Amino acid sequence: MYEDGWIPTVCYQCKAECAILARVEDGVVKEVKGNPRGRGKACVKGMAGITSLYSSERLKYPMKRVGERGSGKFERITWDEAMGIMETKLTELRDRGEAHKFTYSMFPHSVTDPKWRFVNACGGFISTGLPHCDSAKIMAHMHTFGCFPNHHIAPMYNTVPKGGLMILSGRHPFGCLDDACVPKHILDAKARGAKLIVIDPIYRTEASKADWWIPIKPGGDASLFLGVCNYLLANDLHDKEFCDKWVREGDMESLKAYIADKTPQAMSKICGVPAADIEKLAKMVAEAPSACIDAFKSIMYGNGMDWGHAWSTFLVITGNLDNPGGQPLPEIAPMAPVEPVPAGPDLGELGYHRTGKNREKFDNYNFFLEPTWYAAQAIKDDGLKVFFASECNPALSEMGSGEWRKAVTMKDENGDYKLELLVVTEIMPSETMKWADLVLPDQTNFERWELLYMPWWYNFGHGTALCQPVVEPIGEARHANRVFIELGKRMFPEYFAFKDDVEYYDIELAGVGMSVKKLQENGGLWSPGTAGFRKYEDQGKFNTPSGKIELEWQMYKDIGQEWPSPELPLEYRRGEEEFPFILVNFRTIFLNNTGAWSQNNAQLRDPASGLDANPCLLNPIDAKKLGIADGDTVTMESGSGKVEVPIMLTEKIIPGCAGIIHGFGQTMGKVASRGNWIGDNELIADAGSTLDEQDMRGGEAHVSTRVKIYK
Amino acid sequence: MRQLSIMVDLDRCIGCKTCIVACRNHHDIIDHENDQPGAIPNYLRVESKLEGTFPSLQEDYWVVMCQHCKKTPCAKVCEVGAITKDEQTGIVLIDQEKCNGCGECIDKCPYKVIQFNKQNNYAHKCNMCYDRVTHGLDPVCVDVCLTDALSFGEKEILLMQAEADGKQVIKKMSTQSIIYTKTP
Ligand code: SF4
Ligand code: SF4
Ligand code: SF4
Repeated sequence: MYEDGWIPTVCYQCKAECAILARVEDGVVKEVKGNPRGRGKACVKGMAGITSLYSSERLKYPMKRVGERGSGKFERITWDEAMGIMETKLTELRDRGEAHKFTYSMFPHSVTDPKWRFVNACGGFISTGLPHCDSAKIMAHMHTFGCFPNHHIAPMYNTVPKGGLMILSGRHPFGCLDDACVPKHILDAKARGAKLIVIDPIYRTEASKADWWIPIKPGGDASLFLGVCNYLLANDLHDKEFCDKWVREGDMESLKAYIADKTPQAMSKICGVPAADIEKLAKMVAEAPSACIDAFKSIMYGNGMDWGHAWSTFLVITGNLDNPGGQPLPEIAPMAPVEPVPAGPDLGELGYHRTGKNREKFDNYNFFLEPTWYAAQAIKDDGLKVFFASECNPALSEMGSGEWRKAVTMKDENGDYKLELLVVTEIMPSETMKWADLVLPDQTNFERWELLYMPWWYNFGHGTALCQPVVEPIGEARHANRVFIELGKRMFPEYFAFKDDVEYYDIELAGVGMSVKKLQENGGLWSPGTAGFRKYEDQGKFNTPSGKIELEWQMYKDIGQEWPSPELPLEYRRGEEEFPFILVNFRTIFLNNTGAWSQNNAQLRDPASGLDANPCLLNPIDAKKLGIADGDTVTMESGSGKVEVPIMLTEKIIPGCAGIIHGFGQTMGKVASRGNWIGDNELIADAGSTLDEQDMRGGEAHVSTRVKIYK
Repeated sequence: MRQLSIMVDLDRCIGCKTCIVACRNHHDIIDHENDQPGAIPNYLRVESKLEGTFPSLQEDYWVVMCQHCKKTPCAKVCEVGAITKDEQTGIVLIDQEKCNGCGECIDKCPYKVIQFNKQNNYAHKCNMCYDRVTHGLDPVCVDVCLTDALSFGEKEILLMQAEADGKQVIKKMSTQSIIYTKTP
């Protein structure tokens, strides 16, 4: 069945899902590289995928918890038993009229993911498997110009013209949690004469290649760009023609009135970037043929929506929408629905979240997925009874993970767990698995079928990719999609009347005239090849209620948030005396952050080919004040928790900040547990219990806190 | 003697180590059974240098593998004649059959790129993917480099290419076959 040679499939060492080729020899995967029919790159995580596939740590059969939750003790069971446990509990929940108290935390690989279908058929919710990293960006772009971006649709660096500006603001594209061809495209654009500007409190690999590195106070992005917009508008340097044609009537005047006092001088005091530099950036923008912004970590701060709003405003007034070098707007290919389609939960009735007593606070929250962070609170309030998790690790990678771990062990007056069932599908041991009732062994991307349909992927020419098994699965591992199609057949046969996952994908693909077989023949990829620039010109409108760009968010008028606030996140504006440092938690190319595979991958946890420690980065100026030397072990403490960390002194970090890698520090699995146990989420408050810090409009504060450091 | 070379563009290397793992995969030097990367030797490594103080910084990254030296200090000390410089390619090779694992070459290599394989008890290092280049393919690290920082070919042609691109050959590192370049 499995051929030797270079076979096209898709990487899944992180969520970027790059098209790859796997070299198979005698039924064994030997090598991996980027698929030249895609853009031909795979990063170090992708290369190390083979290590995940063949690790002795692979979970090989279903397991059931023995002993208390959190003890991490399991016994082997059959697949049939595992399916029975899930079916019984979900049926009971539905019969009790509490189907909505089921949440599946996952990363949908496609809008047509069969797991999502299963959840809809059940009447439950999904939350993305990672915290909603960039929900603020998505909502901001949707409110302003009606497009659905994702971090996967970064600016198209391959279209940046000579002289165009590529602005990275708290973004780590060289870390390849986006398509692995992005670093090359950025450097290619630079070689063509485009300019790279990196705004980041830490000097990282992007900064080392930048024409200009702008160190900034974390969370200062909104103020920086409001200062830039102020300068552009005050000096008539904006794209008047574009704004006259496309911005809703009256919005430019209101914007000008609002922004009049957001001068570079005033904004400089907030973001710490000198006013002269803010002006210099504005002038560069005015002279450049194009400018794009890509941001990620900065969008996760408590003021993420304000930053998203300022960012969208900047793109609009500079006319950088869907032009070469600007912000692309995705085009959606019409995948066919698999009839009959189960209806999703009634959001009007149930709300976007079930945060119990806090529900009325969320009237303005309109992100389309459940927040991930509500879980601990919802368990306490009896709003969450069954929780499934695939390809995510909430015990480690979500803010307030300590609260989450506590909540899943809470019991009611009868001595039963308040959360009645916790199921984890995983490839390797994960932190979350420790607390699971059922552990289902999942397949790696080398063993499974999967249709990746991501219209918001990096390259608009890249529509669909096929992940196909290239070798026999290890042990009894089954892909989660197959498991939930099977369970769907048992519980809701009307919605799961197709044979298997391959037939399901075939039906969907028919919408674009493709099939799994044709995709295989086509080198694993299909692209509509129709996306172009300035699609709004053909359409004559934007996808907003008015058909125009809406700079003023009138729906937030009653809460006084119709314009972006320049202030730093609330979390940074208080407690400065007790907690003098702002925690900056950053990403690296060696860690997927949410998945257990990269935590437990021997290659990615090797100092030679990956990274094996997570020290706290501190500027020598700060260390001197504290009397701390390089290599000292210190305590880092926030209002919510503390961790012990070794210090690494470096000139690369802005004074006043302490940097650690996000999502590090798993204790499960023999490779992961070798590294020191330092999880940034131990320091971040659980959002559900500190709702005053949340952006209730759709943004979420994932990473914001202040800390103190002492020996 | 013909000399095949790899050119490392410091303007493009981002220190991502993709090349290292790809090299391990291709040369089958992964210890899956023990999940123990420490015991696995690498044919190449990433180095970096940071200059300046906050906020005026400059950092460069580059890879170091066997330099396929002209004068082969490693071969000179090998008493059993296991290390040779291939006439056709200029690639320096270690003959596993001949190597007796004495480790002399490891001490003598100025670039510290020879590894000792404890399991098999012999010295090994980058062979510039001899199996591939003699079949007209690029070395694996060159093929997979995330940013196209590496290029492969005849040394003379690579030098001409660097000059045409306005790149400076970094002298202190370029006396051997691996050519390090950067825009001045
Ligand atoms: S770099 Fe070291 S191993 Fe390679 S040829 Fe030179 S001395 Fe020998
Ligand atoms: S040339 Fe081949 S053997 Fe040498 S470092 Fe590159 S991939 Fe490894
Ligand atoms: S893959 Fe390329 S960019 Fe990455 S470390 Fe190796 S040479 Fe440098």
